[in-house]
Amino acid sequence: MSATETTTAAEGAPAGQSGRKLTTARAMAEGIAQEMERDAGVVVLGEDIGNYGGIFGSTTGLLEKFGRDRVLDTPISETAFIGLGIGAAVEGMRPVVELMFVDFFGVAMDQIYNHMAKIHFESGGNVRVPMVLMTATGGGYSDAEQHSQCLWGTFAHLPGMKVVVPSNPADAKGLMISAIRDDNPVVYMFHKGIMGLPWMAKNPRSVAPVPEEPYETPIGKAAVARAGSDATVVTLSLSVHHALDVAEKMAAEHGVDLEVIDLRSLVPLDSDTILSSVARTGRLLVVDEDYQSFGLSGEIAARVAETDPGLLRAPLRRVAVPDVPIPYARSLERAVLPTPERIEAAVRDLCKA
Amino acid sequence: MAEVVFPRLSENEPDAEGVLATWFVSDGDQVASGQLLGEVMVEKVSGEVLAPAAGQVHLLVGEDQTTRQGEVIARID
Repeated sequence: MSATETTTAAEGAPAGQSGRKLTTARAMAEGIAQEMERDAGVVVLGEDIGNYGGIFGSTTGLLEKFGRDRVLDTPISETAFIGLGIGAAVEGMRPVVELMFVDFFGVAMDQIYNHMAKIHFESGGNVRVPMVLMTATGGGYSDAEQHSQCLWGTFAHLPGMKVVVPSNPADAKGLMISAIRDDNPVVYMFHKGIMGLPWMAKNPRSVAPVPEEPYETPIGKAAVARAGSDATVVTLSLSVHHALDVAEKMAAEHGVDLEVIDLRSLVPLDSDTILSSVARTGRLLVVDEDYQSFGLSGEIAARVAETDPGLLRAPLRRVAVPDVPIPYARSLERAVLPTPERIEAAVRDLCKA
Repeated sequence: MAEVVFPRLSENEPDAEGVLATWFVSDGDQVASGQLLGEVMVEKVSGEVLAPAAGQVHLLVGEDQTTRQGEVIARID
């Protein structure tokens, strides 16, 4: 496989794909549906996930297929229905609960980080909470400060829950199946911009081949989306798409060969893949749509520094959202998001020395 | 030979225009009856395009192309 081909196919997916393409949203819904067929204990609940199919299309078709006993449209109380999911999980079911926007976690944070994440430990390991909390993240469409955040750094920081962040349809399905089968609470965070929704700006990497049979994508393992030798770009979610676009441009126009790593999981974080890449290239750029300070990019920098600061031939760079509420005005929003322009400028800065 | 028609999402306006938002198959692909071929949108409401028969599909409109409800958007033979 040449260095310029993207390798975002799900690991562990059976060979010989049908070539059938799906949007990320439909791939998620298919993963949930196949697990619901396999295991009667899987149920889905959240706001507008039944009749509407999820406002970002993550549960399309589930109500028609499985009925109101297993697909529940809940009232507008995150504390109530996340608590309901925790109770069901503790009793042996496998609920998939949708938090409509990650920004809404505030009103239900106690349920999430003190109960969902801690009951297993508080019970001396006797009680399991095999629950998936899926949630929509990300901006870029003028939804402003309370509907555009990513916040995966916040969830990754708190112990007791796994955190997965797919960037493409094949991984979205495989990670959903892995998350449902996992006996731990898994926070599944999907960027609205990768869902392939017809009413959002079209993004070509949001529609891609997805194997038809069920398969697991391993949680805790990053993917090398593009192999390269000049610099390592560690990123996730929609930023993977932008990084790959920048990599194509830098290779064609400037002869710079970037390696792009798609993290896919934050908890557990695949340090080995990151470190082995940085050891080879010596240059590291982290692109993260979450807030810059006290988060993911700092964590990655720390893991490199505490392993061997000598790995870096140049100071590391990070492109993240500055520590401001995300603006509504399009011009201001574009100034804070990790756009291809900002990524390219950071790559040039990183590689000039 | 089977015709694939732009679904009627708006009953109030039979001649409403929409777009073929996304094709999930490529021109010339073999498809199964009932297979999801694509997604359309009429005024923010999205709908599915399913294959009426099995065979080789020929796409007649492009993505984001404005189309009228009821128009033939693909052929299967």
